[in-house]
Amino acid sequence: MIIRKSLILILLTIISCGYIRAEDTDSTHSEEFNISETLFHHILDSHDWHLVDIPTGETDAHGDPVYKPVALHLPWLFYSSKTGLEFYANTHAMHEAGKYVSHHEHVYAVAEGQSVPHEYHGHGELENSEEIIDESVTIYDLSPSKTVVQIFLIGLLLVWLLSSVAKSYAKREGQAPKGMQSLMEPIILFVRDDIAKEYLGEKAEKFAPYLLSLFFFIWFSNMFGLMPFNSNIMGNISVTAALAFLSFILIQVNGSKDYWRHTFAMPGVPIAIVPLMTIIEVLSLFIKPIALAIRLFANITAGHFMVLSLVCLIFLMGESGKNLGGAFGIMPVSIVFTLAILTLEVIVAIIQAYIFTLLTAVFIGMARETHDDHH
Amino acid sequence: MENIGLIGAGIGAGLAAIGAGIGIGRLTASAVESMARQPEMSGDIRGAMILMAAFIEGVALFGEVICLLAVFQ
Repeated sequence: MIIRKSLILILLTIISCGYIRAEDTDSTHSEEFNISETLFHHILDSHDWHLVDIPTGETDAHGDPVYKPVALHLPWLFYSSKTGLEFYANTHAMHEAGKYVSHHEHVYAVAEGQSVPHEYHGHGELENSEEIIDESVTIYDLSPSKTVVQIFLIGLLLVWLLSSVAKSYAKREGQAPKGMQSLMEPIILFVRDDIAKEYLGEKAEKFAPYLLSLFFFIWFSNMFGLMPFNSNIMGNISVTAALAFLSFILIQVNGSKDYWRHTFAMPGVPIAIVPLMTIIEVLSLFIKPIALAIRLFANITAGHFMVLSLVCLIFLMGESGKNLGGAFGIMPVSIVFTLAILTLEVIVAIIQAYIFTLLTAVFIGMARETHDDHH
Repeated sequence: MENIGLIGAGIGAGLAAIGAGIGIGRLTASAVESMARQPEMSGDIRGAMILMAAFIEGVALFGEVICLLAVFQ
């Protein structure tokens, strides 16, 4: 028992240490540790799947060690108003071609007569950026970012995992669940019985597939977001907004006649109040999905900020390696708090998935409701 | 005076947290009291409690997002 407990503790510590990565040193030599830059580097979406920095053993002009970044370079695909559809295999190839430049994870056209500096690799500061970038060219960026790739990976994982569970139900009909089935069955039954049936009644079977997809996708994304080397998916407002938009469409499509009457002409109120009620009701149509999106986004982002800030304490107190005593002094505190917050985040991951699914079911249930009391 | 927005954001975040804390505290207190009176209703009460806590938290998070926008505008 003790061995098992300590193994779990070690595993959690390793996971929390995964956040402590060597910082980018290929940018300009910085005298002091910039906490907000580090936070945003880890929380925002990026175009390179940065895995790890390997020390090369060499030192630069300032005497700092030089790191070689190991990253998965994602392709660029965008529509430009100057040259049409453009495709480049990675940032390096795009800079080699010299027509477009990536700056702060956005792509810009290079102005006439200008060129991309050879030592610029797409991150850090681009010197003379106002001169190099031609702002007049409009670019619609369609390139897959780190988050997009991660979403596809999670989608594939879920399809494989859940269809294998479904297959084993077909194969082992009437028998006790086995293997992955035993893990998935209580969760699926929980979503179906405690969320779908509770709020949608006899129509629960119709909405269960959507609710289950939503639950598993959010839960898995949150869990992957907590692991090192993975993208912070639900901490990206575009992703949560897209999910909330799907729920919004589903709620409106399933609205009953009473739902629309209560929205546009609330029965049983004085006629003078009706326009005011209509404004409030129409606003609430949009506020519900916006609240869904912001709730999920803010919860996940807050968790990541907490974890990263605690880890950054080590770098702050250590003054980027100049004060080893400070770094080692704060390290136990930082690791213990990080561990605690990460444990909380594992719970938040499933609670937020539950709340998003639950509220979607509640809103659909409210829209489907028919009132027989005509005041 | 340039950093006065930061002070505002800090105070705002604190107030949002206080509001949500009071709200969720009162909600949980009542829910636990009801559960103690009628243990057979625990399941339903817990479900309603989590749902309402999500709503309260949602309002607080609106506040926090606005504070974040004030800091990183």
